[in-house]
This record gives sequence, structure tokens and C-alpha cells, in this order.
Amino acid sequence: MERDLATTLQANKKRVVKDKLVKYGVTTGGSLVLVTLLLIFGYLLYVVFPIFAPVSIEETQSFQRKDATPIYAQGIDEQNEVAYQMDEQGLLRFYSLRDDDLGQSLLQYQAFEDTNEITKTMPASGIFALTNMQGEVKIVKPSFATSYPNDKRLITPELDFPLGEDVFVVSENQQPLHHLAFEMNEENAGIAAVNDDGEGVYMLVSGEENFMTGDVEWSQELFTLPGFPNKVDQLLLTPNLRKLFVRSANDLMVYDISDTDDIHIDSVFKVNAKGTNVNNIQLLTGASSLLVANENGVISQWFEVLGENKREFTFIRDFKAPAKVTHIVPEFYRKGFLTTTEAGELSIFHTTGNTELLTESISKAGALNIAISPRANAILVSDKDVIKLYSVDNEHPEITWSALWQEVWYEGYPEPQYIWQSTSASDDFEAKMSLVPISFGTIKAAFYAMLFAVPIAISAAIYTAYFMSPGIRSYIKPTVEIMEALPTVILGFLAGLWLAPIVENQLPGIILLLITLPASILVAAIIWTNLPKSMSDKVSEGVLPLVLLPILVFTGYFSMAFSETLELWLFNGDTRVFLTNDLGINFDQRNSLIVGIAMGFAVIPTIFSIAEDAIFSVPKSLTMGSLALGATRWQTLAKVVILTASPGIFSAVMMGMGRAVGETMIVLMATGNTPIMDWNIFEGMRTLSANIAVEMPESEVGSSHYRVLFLAAFVLFIFTFFFNTVAEFVRQRLREKYSSL
Amino acid sequence: MIDLSNLNAKTNDLNTLTPENTALEIKNLDLFYGDKQALHNVSMKIPKGKVTAFIGPSGCGKSTLLRCINRMNDLVEICRVDGNIELHGINIYDKSVDVASLRRRIGMVFQRPNPFPKSIYENVVYGLRLQGINDRRTLDEACETSLRGAALWNEVKDRLHDNAFGLSGGQQQRLVIARAIAIGPEVLLLDEPTSALDPISTLTVEELITELKKKFTVVIVTHNMQQAARVSDQTAFMYMGKLIEYSDTNTLFTSPTQKQTEDYITGRYG
Repeated sequence: MERDLATTLQANKKRVVKDKLVKYGVTTGGSLVLVTLLLIFGYLLYVVFPIFAPVSIEETQSFQRKDATPIYAQGIDEQNEVAYQMDEQGLLRFYSLRDDDLGQSLLQYQAFEDTNEITKTMPASGIFALTNMQGEVKIVKPSFATSYPNDKRLITPELDFPLGEDVFVVSENQQPLHHLAFEMNEENAGIAAVNDDGEGVYMLVSGEENFMTGDVEWSQELFTLPGFPNKVDQLLLTPNLRKLFVRSANDLMVYDISDTDDIHIDSVFKVNAKGTNVNNIQLLTGASSLLVANENGVISQWFEVLGENKREFTFIRDFKAPAKVTHIVPEFYRKGFLTTTEAGELSIFHTTGNTELLTESISKAGALNIAISPRANAILVSDKDVIKLYSVDNEHPEITWSALWQEVWYEGYPEPQYIWQSTSASDDFEAKMSLVPISFGTIKAAFYAMLFAVPIAISAAIYTAYFMSPGIRSYIKPTVEIMEALPTVILGFLAGLWLAPIVENQLPGIILLLITLPASILVAAIIWTNLPKSMSDKVSEGVLPLVLLPILVFTGYFSMAFSETLELWLFNGDTRVFLTNDLGINFDQRNSLIVGIAMGFAVIPTIFSIAEDAIFSVPKSLTMGSLALGATRWQTLAKVVILTASPGIFSAVMMGMGRAVGETMIVLMATGNTPIMDWNIFEGMRTLSANIAVEMPESEVGSSHYRVLFLAAFVLFIFTFFFNTVAEFVRQRLREKYSSL
Repeated sequence: MIDLSNLNAKTNDLNTLTPENTALEIKNLDLFYGDKQALHNVSMKIPKGKVTAFIGPSGCGKSTLLRCINRMNDLVEICRVDGNIELHGINIYDKSVDVASLRRRIGMVFQRPNPFPKSIYENVVYGLRLQGINDRRTLDEACETSLRGAALWNEVKDRLHDNAFGLSGGQQQRLVIARAIAIGPEVLLLDEPTSALDPISTLTVEELITELKKKFTVVIVTHNMQQAARVSDQTAFMYMGKLIEYSDTNTLFTSPTQKQTEDYITGRYG
């Protein structure tokens, strides 16, 4: 007896141990799932966060100036180790910014003893043009050479003469030039100025390479600008030498100089902001946009927009600096710019992002001269006493809430739009990273997929659960469920390469099919119920669905065969052309119809399976209760079964929706990936998931593009999270209401 | 003399009921589930305005017989019925009979309360709405009458639009009865209506049954012989798919003519 008790106790101990093990095992597993989710969430946020981090600047170097000559312009090398300054006497001086020899003068150059005026090109080329009192022009480019003596990086300043060391004689009578402007590209250079007689002159310098020596020989031609105004304040050339801007007070004249035989005024218009006057104009990187600074600190952006017949300069947006702007400095490779005011305030702006990123008072000594480093990570600031280097933390100025989610007026576009167009080979390209078109694409794809899948899946679920004989049900259900295991890449492949061309060629037939298929089923059902009993009794209820098969096959064949005739009758023989020309509906081969069918096919098993379970598990007692009250099967279905199963049906639809939103391979292969915003069923779309799949491999790690793709992933996560939460919430509510027995 | 003969006709001879007094007549009913025969040649007359109880051990076919009366067995695919059940002289198994209309005239209440996941009000008027009656006042009236008829009105009149699942089991069962009588059936079939209820609810439902027979013909299947004795006017004892004995309840419980009946009511088996 005692022994028995002992063994019983021992067994209990074992049970306790097992119970504990299971308890801890399950708890650990559950917690790990949560931790993993949080980690994914956390990592996404960690990558995305820098986009929205505020811009900050911090002083890193500072030294006293040796003289007080006003500075015309300055610059820094890429590594922020060497700087140069061009003072207003035309003296070019290089300084070290390194810790060990900070402020030491490295190289000096003076083009003319009697410098009259200086001008500079866009920062990306960084060339100076200087002119003396005799109207001669010299071109010099401060540059930097990198070498690695003793495996240590050494940056040494150099002087480049991109057009040779010779002077160009722009003034024929040896008189000084005014309002000098200079720009050059790979083939040509252009010098524009106003001569002493008040005439506008333009010199085109063309280089030709000598095949024997490899030297470039420069030839020059001088032109006089027609219709030149009497009073001129500023000249500005575009680097492609197609346009010359002449500012006369608040008027801007645009000369078309692309054809030197036909230099003419393209347009004249006022550019000042309301109630103030213009004090400076400057081109933005890429030279598509013109920045116009006004005396009240407003800087307006203008660029050419396609008007009725021609491209016209149009006011786009403006920015507000704290006071009258003294300098506008565009960034090297981005659509941002910096401004300074007479009070020593520095502001950083970005045009695409439409934001003022930073405004800070950095000098009490008044007028500042600033330069931004090529990588936009440092600013060189000089006032009349001190030279300071600031490091800038401004990695992603173009990504702002408004750039991501609002309409943006991009350079060259006729109106503000939502556009996703992230990359281009050119540095001048304005990246268009609006998440709206791809979010829209996601919803559009899911919508068409659901439009196709929900009616079929739910009707199938109702039929299978409620009307089908148990024998057939035991085959049908697993068969449909196994469809879920079909790799979506195969569905996408079939949709893109097999279905899309068929739909394109047989479009009338496909549309006809959408009408005839349900209609033929209805007609067949009506005929069947009216058949004499003796005939219909011969087919047992189990194989009844099979009777439908030949009808469906015949309808399908008929629709397809009729397609060509229909095309000839109704659509002039070519549906695509008819759609595009007569109805104005664009037609892409890979369109929403294809995606709707393919992705619908992918989500049908999900919806079917869950909805079928829900309907099948409606207690038989409810069905019986309804039938016993004299309800027909249809009434019972509509008023009791579907109502009771509604939580399950709803979550089935939402599960399908979640799947359709997150689906990647099908939309990647069958949509054409065009990020357009249009509900047109015959056009494609690009979804968040496909966008990530397409662009992530080519994205530079840590770039704005890379982070925006992660943001897209985060948005996708929020989308599915949202749908699942809503689904769960509604399901709980429905369940509370209809929970039965 | 006259009194006596009347008494005899009334109490003993269920087989000689006049057609006016007969609610249902079952004639030579055989029922098969596939190959298995569940009912063997059952014939009986169910009198109008009375409570008829079917008793017998589990699996004896009493519930099956009850379900035959409103053709609920149609739902079982492998079920096949031979023989007639006549309602006003019309065989309900005739091909021309519409099952839905039949069930409107022969209502049924199941073992477990099965209210729909709707409000109390909607539960009661469900059968009327099915017939396309949507007039608010008609529905309101029918709802009150039926709930009063089911002795539930006073308990639920203030929360007609609450979910029916908020009611207790006994209330739910009375609600289901109200739902069944709302459509005005002639016959009410009760399939062990109290088996899922507590004793007090059982008592309420039993009292209700006594009330119901004033308006309806009630057929009740029960496991509980005391219940059959308390509520019914005549009782049928079934065993192994056969109708063993059918007579006045008093007679059946006090002086059964068949050995099997006696064994059952004295508790030898079942």
C-alpha cells in the first residue's frame, strides 16, 4: 500500500516537471515571436529615423584672417581639409583646414593686377572668370590633387586653366567689362558681359582637339546681343549655353543663345515678389531652376513649364530668409541651397522638400561669405575677421512629409503631381519620391484582386459548406486549399507571360466571358429546375455540379471564338486602338485586370478556406430552427447562416486583403511596375512591395533612396497591421454579437 | 349508460377518433436510414387540442417519428420514408406538398434552446418576416401575443431589442416556443424540450405546455416518464422502432396492456 502511494507520488512529480517544461517552453516561444516582431519593427524605424532627424550644424575649426579684404567667393575640397578664397582684388589663396597647420597659406595666384570684376560658375564645375580694366578675361579653376605619401592622404591645392592660360579679349576697344558672366560645359564655354558702351556681348569659345598632339585649341567668336536694355543689374548663363538671363531691376529677359546665328529674346517678365524688389538671381543645381532673391528675404523658385505652345518660366514656390539675402549658394549635387543675410544669419533650404531646414545666426560681424563642401557635409564661413568651418548634419533634406505624401511641383512638370521616380543616371536629376503613387498602386492591386476573389471565394465557400454533398466536399475543400501552396512566382509568371498576351489579343472575348459565364450558369440552373422530374432524377445530387462543366466549357469556347467577330463589329477590328483612340482609355498589356485575376487566384484559397470553415461551423440547431419555422433553404442561408458566420467571413476577407496587400511576386511580374495613379483597369501600377523588390538591389546603402524604401516597407507593415487590426476588431465585435451557443 | 359509453369512446379508443377530432393520422409508416430500418409500420391518430407524449428508451425512434411529422428528416440525405402521415386528409409526403408551408403549420421546438443571434423581438417575428410580413404593427402585436402565449412577456417586455443570448436557458426555451407559435401553427412538436433545463425552468415549461394545448395540438417527446404523466393526455410507448402501446396516459401508466410497457414504466430498462 505504502509502495503504491510512493509510486503515485513519483508519477506526480514527473507530471509536474513535464508541466513546468511545457509551460516555460510555450512562454519562451511566444515571447520570442513577440521579440522578433519588435526587432523587425525597431530595425525599420532605426533605418527610417534619420530621414526625419533635424538638421544641425557644429563649429569644428576657426582661425583669424590675416587681412580684411572683402571676399568674393570661397570653396572647400571634398575631404574638408583645404579651402580657398577669392578676394575682390582677384587674389586666389588656399588655406589648410587641417588641425596641424590650421590656417596656413598654401598657394596663391593672382590673374590680373588690376582686376575689375570676377564671376564664378555653378559650384559643381567651380571655375572663376576674371576680367581686368582692359576687358580681357582669364579663366582659372582652383582644384585639389589627392596623393598618398606614406599611406597617408595628402590633399594639395592646384590651379587648372580649363581654357588655357591665355586671356580672351572680349572688349574690342580695351575698355573694362561689367556684369561678367561665365559658364562652360564639356565642349564650349561662354562669356557674357556688358561693355563700356552699354552693349551686351557674348563670346562663344569652342575647343577643338588636335589629333596629333592631343592639345585643345580654342577658337572664339563674339556676338552682340540684340535688344539689350539700358540698365542692367545682372547677367547669368546656363551651363548648357542655351540661355542667358539678363536682369534689369525686377525684369528678367531670357535670351535664347543656343543658335549663335539667331540670338534672340525669348521672353521678358517680372520676377519680383509682391511689394518688393529683386536683389539677386542664382541658378539651382541642374540649372533648370532659377532662384530669385528679393530684398525682403523672400527667395522664389522659377522654372520652365510647358504652357500652351512653349515652355514658359513660371513661379513655383518661395522660401523666406530672415532678412535681405546677400549670398545664395546652391549645393553641388542636390536641389538644396544656402543663404546668408547681412545680419550674419545662415539658412539652409531644399526645393523639392519645400522646407527651410535650418536658420541660425552664426556671426555678429555682419556680412558673411559662405561655401558648402561638395559632399554638403561642411560649410566654410568667413566674415571680416574669422574663418570658420562648420560640419553639417543634413543627410536627407529632400525627404519631408510634404515630399512623401503631398503633390510636389517637380522641375519641368506642368503642375504639382504625385510621382515616384527615384533614380536617374544624372546628378542633376530631381529625385521624385512620393509614396502616394505606390501606396495607391498597392490599394489598387488589392482592390482588383478582391473584386475578382471575394465573390468567387465566398460563393464557393457557401456552396461547399451549405449545399454540397459531404462526399464531394471532402474532395473539393482540400483541393482548393492546396492551391494556396502554389508558389506565387508561378502565378506571376503565368499571368505575365501567358495570360497577359491572351487577354490583349482576345479582349472582347474576355469581357464577354465575364458576362456570359455567370449568365450561362443562371440559365442552366433555370432550365434544370424546369426539367421534367423523370430527367432530373437520373442525376444524383452528388454529381450535379459536373453537369455544369460542359456548359462552362462551351460558354468559354463560344466567347473566345466570338471575340474576333465582336472586335470587327464593335471595335473597328482592333480593341486596343479603339480603347485608346476612341475612348481615351490607355491600355497596357500588363494591367490591373491581369493582376486582379492572378492575385485573385492567389487569395481565393485563403478566403475560401476560412469562410467555408465559418459557414460550416454554424450550429446545425440554428439551421434546423430556421427550417422548422417554414424557412426555405435560401432564406435560412441568407437570414441565419451568413449572419452567424459573418465574423468568420469577414476575417476571411480581411486575411485575403492582407495577403493581397503584401503580395510581391505576382504584382512584380504582371503589373508592368508603372507608378501611375489611375483607377483604369487597363493600366498597370506599382505596389509598395514590388517597388521594394525592384529598387532595393540598386539602392546605395544609407542613401535617402535606401531609407525611403525602408519607409515604404514600414508603410506596408502599417497597412497590413491596420487591416489585421481592423479585421480583428470587427471580428471581435461581430463575435460578441453573433456568438452562439 | 350514455355517459359511460361516451367516456369509453373518449378515453380508450384512440383509433376511432372522428376526422374532426384528429389532428394527424399516421398510417403504416416505415422509415429507413440507408439499409437500417428505424421505424416499423407505425400507425396512430393524434387527437386535436390534446397533448400527446412519445416515450421510450433511447434510440427507440420516438424523436425520429416526431421529425417525420414536419419532414425534418428530409434533411438527412440517406433517410427514406414509406407510408403516409395525413394532415386534414392530405398526405404530407405527397410530391405536391411544399415543405416550407407544411412546417409553417406544424411547428417544432428542439431539445436545446436555439435562438438566432438576433434580438428577442427579431427572434419572435422571424417566421412572420419569412412570409414577407413587415408591417410594424402586425409584428409588434404578434410579438406580444406570442411572448404572452409562451409566458415570457413579463420577463422580457422591457428588453425586446436585446440579444436573445442574454436570456437564461429556460427563458430561451420559452422564447423558442414563442417563436414557433408566432406563425400560428396547428400542431406543435416538442422534442424533449426540458432536457437541457434546470428543474424550475422545467416546471415553468411544463405549465406552459398545459396552457398551449388550449390553442394547439401538442406532441411531445420526453425521456422523463413523470413529465409525460404530468403533461400529456395520451401517451405512446415506442420500443425498437415499433409503436408498442398507445393509449390514454392514465391507462398506459396504471394498467399497461403490454409486458414491454410495464417493464419500461416500472424501470426495468431504459
